[in-house]
Amino acid sequence: MSYRLYTCLFYCLLINLTANAQQRRERQRPSFLRPKRVFTPDHPRYVQPNTRQPSIYFPQAPQPGKVRKSIGIVFTTTPPELTEEILISVPAIDGNIQYGLTKHLFLTGRVQSQIIQSNIGLGLRWGAKLTDRLYVSPGFEATTWFGALRIKDVFTSQAYGIQTYPSLSVGYRLTRDVQFTIKGEAIMDLYYRSQVGNLAVVYDNRQVNGVALTFMLEQPFYHNRHVSLGFRAAYSNFNWQFWSLFDTFDRNLFYPQLIFGFIL
Amino acid sequence: MKTATYYLLVVLLVVFWGCRKIYEAPVPYTFKNTSGDGRFSPAIRQALEGVYTVSNGHEMFGEQVVVKWSYLLNNSDTTHYLSIFCGTDAAFFNLERGPQTYDLILNGYWRKLVNDATGLADLVVRVKQNGELKTLNGSLAETDTLVIQGTFGSNTQVPTQKLTLTYQRPLNKQPFAILAHRAGGRTSDLLPASENTVEMIKLAARFGATGIEIDVRYTKDGVPILYHDDNLNLRLIQKNGLTGPVEDYTYQQLTTLVRLINGEKIPTLEEALDAVINNTSLTFVWLDTKYTGPMDKVQAIQQKYNQRAIQTGRNLRIVIGLPSTDAVNAYKDLSNKENTPILCELDTTITRSLGATIWAPRWTLGPQTQEVNAMRADGYTVFVWTLDEPKFIQQFVQQNNFDGILSNYSSVVAYYHYSEN
Repeated sequence: MSYRLYTCLFYCLLINLTANAQQRRERQRPSFLRPKRVFTPDHPRYVQPNTRQPSIYFPQAPQPGKVRKSIGIVFTTTPPELTEEILISVPAIDGNIQYGLTKHLFLTGRVQSQIIQSNIGLGLRWGAKLTDRLYVSPGFEATTWFGALRIKDVFTSQAYGIQTYPSLSVGYRLTRDVQFTIKGEAIMDLYYRSQVGNLAVVYDNRQVNGVALTFMLEQPFYHNRHVSLGFRAAYSNFNWQFWSLFDTFDRNLFYPQLIFGFIL
Repeated sequence: MKTATYYLLVVLLVVFWGCRKIYEAPVPYTFKNTSGDGRFSPAIRQALEGVYTVSNGHEMFGEQVVVKWSYLLNNSDTTHYLSIFCGTDAAFFNLERGPQTYDLILNGYWRKLVNDATGLADLVVRVKQNGELKTLNGSLAETDTLVIQGTFGSNTQVPTQKLTLTYQRPLNKQPFAILAHRAGGRTSDLLPASENTVEMIKLAARFGATGIEIDVRYTKDGVPILYHDDNLNLRLIQKNGLTGPVEDYTYQQLTTLVRLINGEKIPTLEEALDAVINNTSLTFVWLDTKYTGPMDKVQAIQQKYNQRAIQTGRNLRIVIGLPSTDAVNAYKDLSNKENTPILCELDTTITRSLGATIWAPRWTLGPQTQEVNAMRADGYTVFVWTLDEPKFIQQFVQQNNFDGILSNYSSVVAYYHYSEN
């Protein structure tokens, strides 16, 4: 018993007296976690403080005055509640552009298009560094979507709407090159108008449409070209890509999306 | 940190999927289906039908509702049901007469079709005489006002929220076809019966329908059945390991091995039309052609049941719907086209050339006022399909261009049609 007490006291003194804070943190780590490794600058997992890697989703602001962009494709799968036995994965061209306003604040722009329907978004994000690896970014984006269909004997319809997306992104730099981001969004409807022939319907009540969670990996691909590769799980009442189905359900449906983009 | 990231990821995924709601709307009330009038004599039933203003309960069901009776026949027995159609969230009430008491009691449930909201309802019919609510006995004086009052609740909870409906005016009597898609509504609408079933056909009038659309396919051994999708799938049937086109299975196999999502058998077209004639007051059946190949078997059944309707004095029209050029060709291949009423979903030129009596354009083309007016002026009936968006239903009804609307929300069409001034 006394042996244990002395040992305990010894460790307490050791923790309190040591001048090395890093060592202190290591000793407090739970036993089931591996000891924290410190990487040398030539190790691939070494992360240089304040470094920037090409990214679109990672919550770190571009340098003030600098632009970063990406072009890619998003596949959205239709929910069975709407398209019943037909399960379609609808591709959309996806372009992103970001512009650093200050050290932390940056403008975001996004265009998604399927030719017959498109979505343009503009937003602001605030990127903050928590540690050398961990970053966080609250953001707000407003988008307008519009679509038009003219098919003989089938459609003479068009629609447009406005949605907003308050979001919070948390990014972790896994290695020098690989960055992982989780982004949570609330989807808010501001305005919806659809028209068939000369008849139109408008909904302009501000309401929560749903939520979305994005898991995104950003890393080099080839020739120093970086890519974004991820999955977005949206759980919402209305999805602009399916406006032409004129969904009347007041139910949140699951819209899985696969996202791939080249960071230019 | 890396391990913690993985833990966080797993937790987020579990939380996200765990939060996904499974939508179900079981009917909270068990109908007794007692036949006969009870205390609801024909005169009282007739007087009850109308447009009512909603005082208590308008936040849930809107400012006004439509009250309408329907009935189900079983040999010589008639069972009456009262439906209340609302202008909010495609809500409706289905009620039956309560136990024989001094009061006129109605029991049943309410449901909102856009989501899974439902609950019990207990109502009683009163009459307002000189500002005082009294039990309705016998006939109504001109100064009397009917009031339906009571309570509604959530799911199976005892109803406690007040509902008061006050008679405002009679129903719009203009003829209009309210056609229920897939015999009453989609399976995804979480209705008490599966789409395209005999059980759903018997419910259609209680959802406001005056007619139905049903989807016809052939089994491997050539029996016309009701089934919408190309394949057996878990959207429509209970899990049994069977997949692939319904045409790959014989009628015996389907009857023995397949149960629809609410436990029903896949019905034959003849069983469905038997139910329409013997059990319902429906006046229109639209046989949607989902099959490829010869139409003669469906034509024979159509003719047989149209003839039976005439013999039994039923006001019923059974028509074959032609949604595609394949179906048009199958119709053209029929050796004898007499006594084969058809409905064409293609353009007006084809409709006219086929000698169809009904033209049915898609609602997504808009009201097409000029074409519709021209067709109607030439004696064609014009229906629009499949219109579910309540605000568009309202506008299509108000424009008064069409002879009917096919919808999954026949209760919404009924609300806007019957409440139209």
